[in-house]
Amino acid sequence: MKVITVTLNPALDREFIIEGFAVNAYHRIKTQDHMVMNPGGKGINVSMALAKLGVSSIAVGIIGGYTGRVLLTELNKVSPLISTSFVHIEEETRENIVIVDPVNHTMTSINSPGPRVDKKAVELLLKRYEIYLSRAEAVVLSGSLPQGLTGEIYGKMAKMAREKGRMVFFDMIDEYLTEALEICVPDVVKPDVRGSFTVLGERLESLEDYVEAAASLVKRGCKLVVISYEIKNDVVATQDGVWLISTDEKVEPENILGAGDAYVAAMVYKRLTGTSTSMLEIAKFGYAAALAKTKKLTKEMPEYEEINRALGSCTLERLR
Amino acid sequence: MRVYDVMVRDVTAVTQDDSVENVVRIMATQFLSGVPVVTEDMRVIGFVSESDIIRAAIPGYFSLLQSTTFIPDMSQFLKMAAKLKDKPVREIMAHPPLVVNENASLAHVADLMIKHNVKILPVVDEHGRLLGVITRTNIVRAAMEGYL
Repeated sequence: MKVITVTLNPALDREFIIEGFAVNAYHRIKTQDHMVMNPGGKGINVSMALAKLGVSSIAVGIIGGYTGRVLLTELNKVSPLISTSFVHIEEETRENIVIVDPVNHTMTSINSPGPRVDKKAVELLLKRYEIYLSRAEAVVLSGSLPQGLTGEIYGKMAKMAREKGRMVFFDMIDEYLTEALEICVPDVVKPDVRGSFTVLGERLESLEDYVEAAASLVKRGCKLVVISYEIKNDVVATQDGVWLISTDEKVEPENILGAGDAYVAAMVYKRLTGTSTSMLEIAKFGYAAALAKTKKLTKEMPEYEEINRALGSCTLERLR
Repeated sequence: MRVYDVMVRDVTAVTQDDSVENVVRIMATQFLSGVPVVTEDMRVIGFVSESDIIRAAIPGYFSLLQSTTFIPDMSQFLKMAAKLKDKPVREIMAHPPLVVNENASLAHVADLMIKHNVKILPVVDEHGRLLGVITRTNIVRAAMEGYL
């Protein structure tokens, strides 16, 4: 297992493809393949994307109740490259619902908060995590937290990983990121700005705000920072400067489910397989993976060849 | 067919200083009949099963009697069980553990399980590091599909 992915608030994802979806209306789902149930939560998605790229990982976290057991059963079927170790609690793991409408090009998401996690479950998890760190090269800490946990847990886990010389990747909302950074600075960070448009407590409006936020995170010690700017542009910062990655290709907003996780997985893959690869190249490969993912309607992760094809349509513009 | 093809890639494990209470919690919540005990680098050094825990909680002669009616003082049993929960796993685990390599044949594993009367075995790599577990159900399922 080369990579540990941490999913503290996993979800059983339910995707429904409904043409002409409208609120306050009766919808009948056409066929079985228009309703998909699969394991979810950012870390788990990263594990599934890594498996597509031939990288083995161990998915760890906290799951609960009947839904948690269904999730684990499904996850164990995905690939022999994914090992699991979840602490089980009694409260039910959440279910996330996504309604994709390919006619109106919309994606409606309903995400639940998740169970309350007690101190004992966290202690058990940290103990296991420490053991698994002995065999990993990189750790991905991403996604929402269940009730009862704060960003401190991410900081703590990052610190444990860094102390053992492991690479640390963050993909989380600003609330957790700000708290975690007080304890440990990761190697790579991709702040989740969906909905909040906030990084380090600052609201991002203009492109200059995004550039400033990315540069501030590099100044704090991150080697690579990626912030989504509008749907198909990303601001990328390294110690050598700040760039805008973009594409001329059309991106359908209803296909973006899991694209951020494909992005992180591809960056991990590139970092692990090409030690001499520049941080900018790593970000570009991640961007290409996200772009390749958007060619698929459901949360199916891209293959290496698909990512390579998408690389050809990525453009880089230096901003600073 | 090999162990690799049917094993469960769940690497849930404990270390030898974990308490028996923790092990029971893991077994109860994950519906497991036993948990591997590993070192810091994930080498399997023991295995703790339901039988190991029960054996440690009741007087030695109990297994011969096969009925709780013969336990003269139930409160003594409850006291032993309460004491046991804080004990480290190393005091009750099976050591050295019975393990199988991921490349072993299912027929070999079935043979081991029958001989040693166990329901679950840790699966390890060539360095003895934990990769997952294999259960009797995994083997029976493969046999029913004609793959043993």
